[in-house]
Parts: sequence; C-alpha cells; structure tokens
Amino acid sequence: MKAPESTPEQIIYLVDDDEALRDSLVWLLESQGFKVAAFASAEDFLRRWRPEFNGCLLLDVRMPGMSGLELHERLRAQYCTLPVIFITGHGDVPMAVAALKKGAVDFIEKPFNDNDLLHLVSQCLAKERESRDRRRQDAEVSRRLDQLTQREREVLDLIILGKLNKQIADVLGISIKTVEVHRARVMEKMGAQSLAELVQNVMAIEGVAGRS
Amino acid sequence: MRLFRLRGDDARDMSNTNPSPKMPPTRVPASWYWSAPNFAVLIFALAMLVLVWVLQRQESETARAAMARDVQWAEQTMRLHMQGTEEFLGQLARELAAGTLDGDGFQVRANQHIANNPELVNIVWVTGDQRVKWTAPFDTTDWLVGDGLSQVQVAVLARSRELGRPVYGEAYVNGRNMAVLEVYLPVQQGRQPLGAIVAVYSIERMVAHLVPSWFGEKYRLSFTNGKGELLAANSTLRALDESLEFSVPLDPPGNGLALEATAYHVDSELPKGFPIAVIVGLSFFVLWSLWALRAHMLRRVRVEKERDRLFNLSLDMLAVMAHDGLFRRCNPAFERILGYSPEAMPGSSLLDYIHPDDVADSVVRLRSLAAGTPEAFENRCRCADGSYRWLAWSINSVPEEKLMYAVAHDITGRKAAEEALHHEYAFRQSMEESLITGLRAIDLTGRITYVNPAFCRMTGWSREDLVGSAPPFPYWPPDEIEALQHNLELTLSGNAPSTGFEMRVQRKNGESMDARFYLSPLIDGDGRQTGWMASITDITEPKRVRAQLEAAHERFVAILDGLDAAVYVADAANDEILFANRAFKSIYGFDAVGQRVGIYGLPTPPDTNWYDVDPRRLSPQQVPRELYDGELQNGLSGRWYHIRERATRWVDGRVVRMAIATDITDKKRVEEENRAQQERLQRTSRLITMGEMASTLAHELNQPLAAIANYSMGCVNRLQSGEYRQEDILTAMQKASAQAERAGRIIRRVREFVKKSEPRRQLVALSGIVEDAIGFVEIDARRHVAQVVSQIPADLPPVFADSVMIEQVVLNLVKNGIEAMRETPAEERVLTVSARIAEHNLVEVSVADRGHGLSDEAREKLFSPFYTTKAEGMGMGLNICRSIVEFHNGRLWVDANPAGGCIFRFTLPLETPLESARIDA
Repeated sequence: MKAPESTPEQIIYLVDDDEALRDSLVWLLESQGFKVAAFASAEDFLRRWRPEFNGCLLLDVRMPGMSGLELHERLRAQYCTLPVIFITGHGDVPMAVAALKKGAVDFIEKPFNDNDLLHLVSQCLAKERESRDRRRQDAEVSRRLDQLTQREREVLDLIILGKLNKQIADVLGISIKTVEVHRARVMEKMGAQSLAELVQNVMAIEGVAGRS
Repeated sequence: MRLFRLRGDDARDMSNTNPSPKMPPTRVPASWYWSAPNFAVLIFALAMLVLVWVLQRQESETARAAMARDVQWAEQTMRLHMQGTEEFLGQLARELAAGTLDGDGFQVRANQHIANNPELVNIVWVTGDQRVKWTAPFDTTDWLVGDGLSQVQVAVLARSRELGRPVYGEAYVNGRNMAVLEVYLPVQQGRQPLGAIVAVYSIERMVAHLVPSWFGEKYRLSFTNGKGELLAANSTLRALDESLEFSVPLDPPGNGLALEATAYHVDSELPKGFPIAVIVGLSFFVLWSLWALRAHMLRRVRVEKERDRLFNLSLDMLAVMAHDGLFRRCNPAFERILGYSPEAMPGSSLLDYIHPDDVADSVVRLRSLAAGTPEAFENRCRCADGSYRWLAWSINSVPEEKLMYAVAHDITGRKAAEEALHHEYAFRQSMEESLITGLRAIDLTGRITYVNPAFCRMTGWSREDLVGSAPPFPYWPPDEIEALQHNLELTLSGNAPSTGFEMRVQRKNGESMDARFYLSPLIDGDGRQTGWMASITDITEPKRVRAQLEAAHERFVAILDGLDAAVYVADAANDEILFANRAFKSIYGFDAVGQRVGIYGLPTPPDTNWYDVDPRRLSPQQVPRELYDGELQNGLSGRWYHIRERATRWVDGRVVRMAIATDITDKKRVEEENRAQQERLQRTSRLITMGEMASTLAHELNQPLAAIANYSMGCVNRLQSGEYRQEDILTAMQKASAQAERAGRIIRRVREFVKKSEPRRQLVALSGIVEDAIGFVEIDARRHVAQVVSQIPADLPPVFADSVMIEQVVLNLVKNGIEAMRETPAEERVLTVSARIAEHNLVEVSVADRGHGLSDEAREKLFSPFYTTKAEGMGMGLNICRSIVEFHNGRLWVDANPAGGCIFRFTLPLETPLESARIDA
C-alpha cells in the first residue's frame, strides 16, 4: 500500500493511555505512510496543541484523568478545527454517540478492523485538507478584498449585483470610463481571470452573509 | 417619712388641745381673792368707823356727864347763893316784921349784901299795898319808891303771901334790857301781911358770878325761861359745840327757868370728823392701791400667761437647766419633738439624751456655758422611740442664778435636707466626674459658662480654655465654622431640633470625632432662662458599632434569607410568628410574620404527637432545649420538610420556638431512589460484581487484542509493500507476542477472581428460595396492586444451587413480571411462580405474568447486554440471570403466555455429583 493522500504537513495525532495500543497503532499507521504523533494523555496533548496542528485526532474515549470526551470539549472551546475520531471500547457506544453529536467526525470500536481504521483516517485527512484549502483560499480573497479602495469596493458590490457599467456609473455618479478603470483594477487586485471567478470567490466568503 | 408625719400630727394635736385645760385653773381664784381684800378693807373701814363713833360717843358721853356734873354743881352753887339771899331776905323780913329795921338799916344791910352778892341788883321792900317803900341801892332807878307794882309782880306777891314762903317770879327783861329774876319774900307781922321783900337777880350777873371762872371758860352758860327764850349768857362770841349742851331746870326759882351749859368748841383738838375722814380716806387709799395692785397683778398675770403660752406653745424646745445640765423645766415641745413628757424631764440631764458622737462637743459647750458664755450648737438627741433628732441649741447662762435658759430648734428636717443636699451635691459631683456624656452650658449670648470634665476629655481642651470663650469655639473644625455658627444661632433662637445636632468636634490635638449635641434650655431658680445646656455624646464608636451591627444584621438576614431552609420563630405561648426568613415567606406567604403558626398546618403546641413537653409551659430558665426533630409533609404542596424545632430565648427574653424547616422532598426522593437502588444493588451485589467484572474483562482484553491486531496488520502492510526492515518487524512481532501474554494474564486474573467469588452451591429447598424472593417484592406488588401466587409443589426435591443467586434470579423475574403488568387491568394482575420436575434431572421454574408480552424482536434481544424495555433499567438483569442460570448448568428462556403476557422459565439441576466435580476443576 502506498500513501499518496498523505501530504507532508498532515499528521495523525494519537492520544491513548495504553502504551501497547498506542505503540501498535503508530506501527500500523506508519505502515500505511501516515505521519503519527502519539500522546500518553489528554493533558499532554492539550499542553502541546498549537492552532497550526494539521491532520486529524485519534482519541481514546476512556482514559484516566481527562477523558477523551472532555479533551474534545476543551479543544472545541479553543476553536481547534482538527477532526476527531474516537476510539471506544465495549460499552462506550452511548458516549461516542454523544461525542458525534458534539462534532466528532466518527468513532471506531475496539477491537477494530485495520482497514476500517485506515479508511476512516484517510477520509478524514482528505476532508481536512479540503476544508483547509478552502479556508486558505477564503483568507486570500478576504485579504485581496481588504486591498480595494472604497470606490473599488462600491464598484465590486454593484458588479456582484449584476449591474452594467452604465448602471454603476449612474448609481455612483461617475463616468463609465472611470467605472471601467475601477473594474479593471478590481479584477487585477482580486486576481480573477473572469467575472464568474470573481463573483464566485467573493460570494464564497461573503455571499452567505448576504452583504448588501 | 410615715413616722415623721405621725409625729407631726401628734404635735399638732397637742398644740391644739394643750392650752385649753391649762387656762381655767389660773382664772378661778382670781375673782374671789381679788374681792376679799376689798371686802376686808370695807369691813375694816366700817369697824374703824364704828369704833371711832363709839369712842366719840363715849367721849361725848363722858363730856356730857362731866358737863352735867359741872352744870349741876353750878346750879347747886347758884341755889346755895340764892338760898343765902333768901335767908338774908328772911332776916330782913323778920326784922322788918319785928320792926327793928329802919330804912337806913335796911339800906346798909341790903347794900352790903348786894356788894357781897354781885348777882343781886336790887333789894326792895314792898309794902302791903304793893307800894315800894324802900329800895336798895337807893340810887336804883328800876325801883322807885312809891311805885306800884305790875300785875305780874302783884300776882307773884300774892302767891308768896299765900304760900308764906319765897316765890320767884318769872324772869323777864326790864327796861334796861336786863334779864332779871325777882324773888318775893312775904313779910308778916303775925298774921298781918306787911308786904314783901323783893330781891332782884340779874341773870347776866348770875351767869358771870355764880360759877367759877374755869367753868365760864369751858362752857357757855345761859338761862332760858320757860318759853325757851335766852335770857342771858356768859359769852356769845366764842364758837359753841352745840352737840354738847346740858340744861338743868333751876328750881327754885322754877317757872321754867333753866340753866343751860354748852361746851365751847375746842379749837386746839382735832376736828371730830377727822378720824372718820382719815379712816375713809385711808380706806379709799387702800382700795385704790388694791385696785392699782390688782391692775398691776392682772398685767403681771397676763404677761406671765403670755410667757407661759410662749413657753408652752413654742414649737421650739425651751428649757431651764441647772449649770450641770439637769433640766429644771421643759416645755411641751419636748414631747412633740423628742416624745418625752415635759413633766418627766426635770431631774434628767441633757447629756443623757445626746448622741454618743456628740457628747464630747456638748460637754465642752456646757462647760463654757457654766462659765457664763452663751453658746449655740447643734447635736443629736435621742427620742423616746430611740431615734435621733438633730437639734440646734441656743443656750444662755445666768451665772448668778446658776441657771441656763435653753432653746432647741428641731433641725432634723433641715439636717436631713442638708444631708440630702450634701449627698445630692456629692452625688452630682461624682456624677459630673463620672459622666461620660459631655455637658456644656452657654449663656444667652452663646458664651460658654460651664463645661464638665467629660466634655473637656472629649474635646481635649481644658475647662479654663473653654469657659468664657465665645463662638467660634476652639473645638469647632475650621472648615465647618459657618454651619456650626448657623446651628448655634438656631439654638439661641430656641429652634434647635429636639433630636439634637450631629457635628464633628475637632480635638485640641487635631483629631476629630463625631458627636451629637442635645440642647435644652437652662432655667435658673427663678424660672428665668439663663442659657442653654447641651449634652454631648461621642458617637464615633456608636456610629461604628451601629454600622457594624447593621452590617452584621444584614449579613444575618442575608444568610437566613439565603438559606433554602425555611426558618421561623414563634412565640411559644401564643404561637405568633415573630420572624420568618425569605424561604419561609415564599412558601407560606409574605404576610407570615404576625400570623399564628397553626394556620399553616405546622406543629403547634400542645400537640402531644409532636412535643414531649409543652413549650408553652417552659420557663426562660429551661431553655434552650430541643423540642422536635422530624419530618413533616406539607398538606398543601405535598412537599416534605425536615423540621427541627428548639425552644430558646428570644431577644426580648420570652420563650420562643425556633424552627428550621428544610425542604427534603428532592433529597427524600433521591434517598428513596437511593434506598431502592441500594436495595437492588445489595440484592444483586454479587451479580453486579460479576457484570462489572465482565465489562472490565472485555475492556481489559480489548487492549491487548487490539494491539496484537495492530502490530500484525502493521507487519502485514509492510511486508506487502516490501518497504521494511527486518528488525522492525521482529520487534513488532515480539511486542504482539507480549500483548498476547498480557491477554493471558488478564484471563488468569479473571479465573482467580471467579474462583474466589465462587457460588456456594448446596442442596436447598426451592420453595424457601421462592418464598423469600416473593417476600422481598411484596411491597412492590402491593404498590402495583398485583397478586403474586406461589405454586411450588411441597414434594419438590431440593436443588443443588447457590440460594442467594437463585433468589436473585427469581426476584428479578418476579419484579419484571410485576412491572410488565402495569398496563394490565388490576383484577388480572396475577403473577404465578410455579415449579415442576423436568427431564434430565432438572427442575423447571416458571414465572408467568399477564403483562404486555414481548414482540419477536424484543424476545431476540432480550438477553443481550444493555437491552431494556424499562426506563430505569440497566439492561443487565436478564443477562445476568441467564449467566447465573447457565452457571448452574441451567437454561433461561421465555415463552409467550397463552393467557397473555410471557412465561420466563429456567431450569436447575437436581443434585449431580458430576456438576460439583466440574466446578472444582
């Protein structure tokens, strides 16, 4: 098996108190080409967690001290966006269900089929990568939007509303020529090749909010 | 006080009654002994008068007798003379008759005789023819020779002739105004009348010559004729004593001729009335002097009476004492003041009555008095009732009489007042000293006139600094002078608030304090206002304390109000709620304070169900004590309260019931649940332990198993990819092997545990087990109105089982059955437990209910762990039951009840040695 989907920056963070299980899981996951970071306790992970952490979190539900569920809550409180997969033992199912309701991606019951686990992890990482890319793109658009001047921004808003240059000129009380200059500058600043791309990019971060 | 008033009343009574009986005795003798001297004087005067009269009478009688003697002597003398003359005349007559006598002879003889007898004036011889023949003296003119006789003379002559003896004619006054008396002597010659010799007596000469001269000096002699006419007297010049006269008839001559003698008034002697006058005068003098004396005496008596009255009525004690202090006389005030009878006092000494403490001083005073120095002093004297009274003595001494005159004024009241005043002064002094309230007086201009030590302590300024100072006062903080000046003006105008001013006082050392000034007008003894008195209280501490108290009270209230428990305090006697916290009010209403506890259905005395003692009878000494501690359900809300009630003493001292009611509904419910749970847990403790063990076992085993799988799959993956290092694979496989060993250890541990908690199987009667189980659920059954029927044949052989575990199984099934019949009509809620001998040495036990039955799906999952149809179920019961039954080599299953509901059946082996052998292995 190869691990084509694992990008260098993605790491599987593993939190389990049982050393054998932790070690064996690292062994298994590494055998599939994943990068793994193992932590012996929830406290240990929480201490070392950084917002830049990228990948997914494999979390044992039942641990002495801070439980997996509790750690999940704490991370959510700190706006950690890492997707979480719970590893549950026999009888921990209702707990895992509760965790799912709170935003965990999935759970897997011990003892587990290795293929199921690997599949789940891959899926999870892919989803994470996707959302991370989208977030990065949104951030880029939003950065570019910030570079627009007041007038350019007004022009952009009217473009998104589907106004023609003439209409824009009328609304803003400027000449069509000026609108065209602004329009070209907006396209350039936003790095958009087409009108459709421009509108799509802006709508992706602002359209839902329904900016008027 | 009472005694004093009594004493005063007595004194008044005495002063009222005393004088009246004393007055009359002094009055009674006065009248008669004052008239007696007068009477005596009158009698004496009368007697004197009588005596004088008698003496005078005697003297007069004596004088008269002497006069009579003298007069008779004089008359006798005269008669002798006249008889001599008659004899002479007879001689002449006889001579004449004899004729021997001639004219000359006659003349000689007659003249001679006349010369010898000067009283004779004439001797005449008258012849028978009544003619004068001879006359001697011859020169007489009265008788002229030859004259005839007068008729009267003739008659006398005739009578003498008739009688033949001398006859005296009547005296008469002749022509020469001379009273004469004629005597006729007849001359007879034989029987022949020859005429008569007549001798003429001059009566005046008779008076002058016939009595001795001393007689004439003593008496006036006079002759009166028969008609009482004065014929002659020896003197007419000298004063006569008419009262002393004596008249003797002169016979002869007779004819009414009388010799009368009247004593002369004797000038040289005292007048006859003089003694009488003297006596009367003296009597009057005596009477007058008596009267004057009486007036004087009356005055004296009045003065004395006044003095007596003064003495007796004096409110002060008056006494006369000897120099040695012995009482001589005391006034009734002694009885009034000291209670001793004034009559009993004389003879006792002043020193006998003096208070022992005052004796020394009094002795000194008495000694000084004996020396004649007046003294005034005060001492205490013992009263008759043993008490002492203060007396102010003022004693003057009269050394000549060896007497002292004492006045004692009762000053007990004054002394008491002085004492009281002294005490009051001392009291006020000490009060002023000890007072912690500052006092400051100002006059009407605002100037300080007085400050007390407390005020000085408060302000730190001395009295000298403050008294006399005018506003702004030194203790005024400089930044508040304006406001304080305003306050002062309010005060002076009488508009100070009755609650006083609160102000800051700056002490001399710069510290400041809070003080409250209360102001009241300062009124002097005449009722004039002279200023304002302020009492100043340091309220710094009270302010702080008040703030603390308020905070404490707020905390207290906050705590009480913050309590979930309802707290109330009720008067033990009348059940009135005195205090209720917020929790109580929110349960029973916010108007709870003032209501009766009884209206809330809370315990109220005298409910003997609640109280061992009647709280209403408890005295403050018997508290605090526990009254009640128990639980109570509120009839309205149905909630449960734990009520703890104590009798204690309230802030005002009365006995109150203080109750704390804690809402224990939730706790009770939890407890109830806990209790049920506990019961369940206890009953199934061993089963639970086994269930837990199984769960733990599963988890424990999962770990090594998962690790082994992971290691294995890791190796597989690497081996498939061909990218591996052999030693890595080796290490992983070794690790996997170690995990396998770990799993084995877990299994071993479980086996050890199972060995330890092995059921104690023995032969037991199934009927007993079933009955015990049914006994446990009886309460549940009754609550669910379900009937549990046991149909265990009496001849059933004993089973080889752990009675506790089997009992749990039966219990579990019975309870499930009862709960399953919850929806069943009550009359059909019958649960039957029966047993029968089945094949293969087995006993089959059936628990048949008439409940809702089970769907096929449910029946399938029924025995899987964590499956339950009950809300509060764990889903372990049947699972464990099956484990137990299977442990006993039995089987547990369920069938549908043909009558509705289900029948749970399980089998148990009858005794088999094989089984026990297997267990041992």
